[in-house]
Amino acid sequence: MGLFAFFALSVILAILTLLIRNKAIIRMIMLLFSAAHIAVTVYAWKNIGNTELTYFTFNHSGVLLMSVLAFLLLPVVYHGFIYVAGDDARKYSIYHSSLIALAAFMTGAYLANNMTVLWIFVEATTLAVAALIYHDRTEIALEATWKYVFICSTGIALAYLGILFLGFIYGREDAASLSFEDLAGMINTVNPLYLKIAFLFVLVGYSTKMGLFPMHTVTIDAHSVAPPPISALISTTLMNVGFIAIFRVYTLFASSPVLGFMNNALILSGVLSLLIAAGYMLKAKHVKRMLAYSSLENMGLVAIALGIGGQAYYGAFLLIVLHSFVKSGLFFQMGQLHRVLHTFKLDETGKYMNAYPAGALVLITGMILILAFPPSGMFLAEFFIFKGMIFQGRWILAVIVMVLISFIIYAMSTRILHIAYSEPKEYATPLPPGKVNPAETITQFILFAVVIALCFVQPPFLAEIINQSFFMLPN
Amino acid sequence: MINYLIVAFALTLVYFASTERIITYIRLIGLQGLLLCGIALFELSDINLGNLLFIISETLLFKAFMMPFLLSKIVDASGVTKVHRLAMPAFYTLLFSIASLLISVVLAASMMNNYVSTIYMTIALFALFTGLILIVTHRLIVSHLIGFMIIENAVFFFSLAMGSKMPMLINVGILLDIFVGVLILGFFGLRLKAHTNELTRLKD
Repeated sequence: MGLFAFFALSVILAILTLLIRNKAIIRMIMLLFSAAHIAVTVYAWKNIGNTELTYFTFNHSGVLLMSVLAFLLLPVVYHGFIYVAGDDARKYSIYHSSLIALAAFMTGAYLANNMTVLWIFVEATTLAVAALIYHDRTEIALEATWKYVFICSTGIALAYLGILFLGFIYGREDAASLSFEDLAGMINTVNPLYLKIAFLFVLVGYSTKMGLFPMHTVTIDAHSVAPPPISALISTTLMNVGFIAIFRVYTLFASSPVLGFMNNALILSGVLSLLIAAGYMLKAKHVKRMLAYSSLENMGLVAIALGIGGQAYYGAFLLIVLHSFVKSGLFFQMGQLHRVLHTFKLDETGKYMNAYPAGALVLITGMILILAFPPSGMFLAEFFIFKGMIFQGRWILAVIVMVLISFIIYAMSTRILHIAYSEPKEYATPLPPGKVNPAETITQFILFAVVIALCFVQPPFLAEIINQSFFMLPN
Repeated sequence: MINYLIVAFALTLVYFASTERIITYIRLIGLQGLLLCGIALFELSDINLGNLLFIISETLLFKAFMMPFLLSKIVDASGVTKVHRLAMPAFYTLLFSIASLLISVVLAASMMNNYVSTIYMTIALFALFTGLILIVTHRLIVSHLIGFMIIENAVFFFSLAMGSKMPMLINVGILLDIFVGVLILGFFGLRLKAHTNELTRLKD
C-alpha cells in the first residue's frame, strides 16, 4: 500500500504543480514530495523482499539506489529553488512538475521486478528529463534536448529488442511472465546465442541512461546545457537507473553459460569508456562537460567491476553510491560557479578562490574525493575493484586502468586548480564577479562529509544491503 | 500473401540504401507503414478483436499517414530536399545494405527455433541494420529521423514475429512508437529551423 500511496501522491502533486502558478505553494509541494520520498524509502527498508502492486519488489539493490535518490532529492530541490527563482511562473511550474515525475519514474525503475515494466519506467524518465533539459528554452537547449531524446529513444528501442529476444523465451507455453523471477527458472534451457544478443542489445540500449560507451555522448551533451541541479540528477541517480537495468539482466543471465561473454562485454565497454573519458578530459574546455566525462569514467569502472566479479562487486556498488554523492555536490557547485564567474568555459574561469572562497573549497574538496584520493570513500571502492583484478591475475587490465586513471587525475586536477587559483586565459565577460551566499555550500559539504566518513566506517546496514544486492551472483 | 508483403518490405529497405532524395525516403516510410498494416492483419488474425484493431489502426494511421505527414512538415520547415553532400554515396550504402542482408540471413539461420519464423527474424534484423547504417552514414537530422523510423519498424517486425503469443509486448512497442512520434517529430522536429538542421553547436 505504501508504494501505491507514493505513486498516487506523485501524480497528484505533479498535476497540482503544473496547474498552480504560485511559487510559494509550489515550494511547499516540493518539500512535501521530498518528505514523501523519504517516507516511502523508510517503508521500503522495512519491507525488503516484499512485492507490491504486482510489478514492484523491494529488493536490496533497488532499495539501496532508492535511498541514494531520497538522500539527494532534498538538496536537488533546494538548489533548484535557487536556480529557477527568477523564472516566470509557467517555467517554474513545468520545472518542478517534471522533477516530481522524474523522481517517481526513477523510483519505479529501481523497484521494477519485470522486464517490460522496467523498460517503461526507463522510457518515462526520458520524457521527464527532456522537459528539464529544455528548461532555458534557448536554441542550444533545443539542440541538447533533441540529441538527448533522439539517442535515448534509439537506445530504448535497442533495449526493447533485447526484451523481445527474452520474449522468445516467454513465447513458450511453459513461461509465465516477463518477470525476472519467472525468467530465471528457464534461462539455462535457452539457446545461448539468444542470451548473448539480448544482453548486447540491453547493454547498448541502457548505456544511454548509464552514460556508458557506446551511447555515452547523450549525457555529455545534456550536461552542458541542463540546469546544474538537473545535471546532478542525470549524472547520478539517472545513471543508476541505467546501471540497475543492466545489472538486473546481468544477474538474470549470470547462472547461464554466457556469463563469461557478459563479463568480457562489460570489461570492454568499461575500458573504452575510460579511454574516451581520459582522451576528452585532456582536451576539455567546458567545466560541466569535464564533470560529465568524469561520470563516464566512474561508470566505466563500475562496468569493469561487474565484469571482474568477486570483491569488485562490492566496490561497484560502493562506487555507485559514493559517486552519486560527490558528483551531485560538484554539480550543485557548478550553479554557483556560473553565478560568480558567469561562464562554464575553462579558459574564461580563474581566481575562483578570490571571488568565492567557499565555492573554491567545495571544488577542490570535490576534486580530491571524485579522484578517489584518501580520505575519499571512493578510494575504498576503487581499492576493492583493483583487488578483484589482481586477485584474478588480470594484471594487464589493472595496468591499463591505472594508466587511464592517471591521465584523468592529471586532466581534472590541473583544470580545477586552474579555476581556483590561476588568472583566466581569456576575459570574455565584462561582468564583475557575482555574489553567492556561502551558506549555499552547506549541502555540498554534508554530502562530502558522508563520503569521507564512509572511508573510515561503513555501518553494518550499508555493508549488509550491498552484500545482499549481489548475493545471487557467482563469486 | 504474407510472404509477398514481407519481400516487398525487404525491397523498400534496399531502396532506402540506393536513393538520396528526402521525399523518396518519406514515401518509403509511408509504404512500409502500409505493408506492416497488411502483415499485421494476416499474422495476428487469431488475437482478440480489440487488440487487432488497436494494432491495425496504429500501423495505418500512425506509421502510414501521420509519420510521413510530420516528416514532410519538418522537411518543408528545414528546406532540405536531398541528403547532405558529405553523406556516404548511395553506391557504398547499397554495398553495406547487401552485406547487412547477408549477415541477417546468417544470424537468423543460426537462431532458428520452433517459436519464431526465420523469415521474420531475417527481415527484422535487416531493417535494424538498415536503420543503423542510415543514421551512421548520414549527417542531416531528417536522415537520422528516417533511420530511427526504420529501427522502429524493425522493432515492430520483431514484435509481430511472436505477436499472437504475446500481444502485450506489441502494445508496449506501439507505446514506444507513439511516444517517439509525438515527442521527436511533433514537438522537437517542428521547432527545428533550417540553420539548425545539422546540430553541431554542442561539441568538445
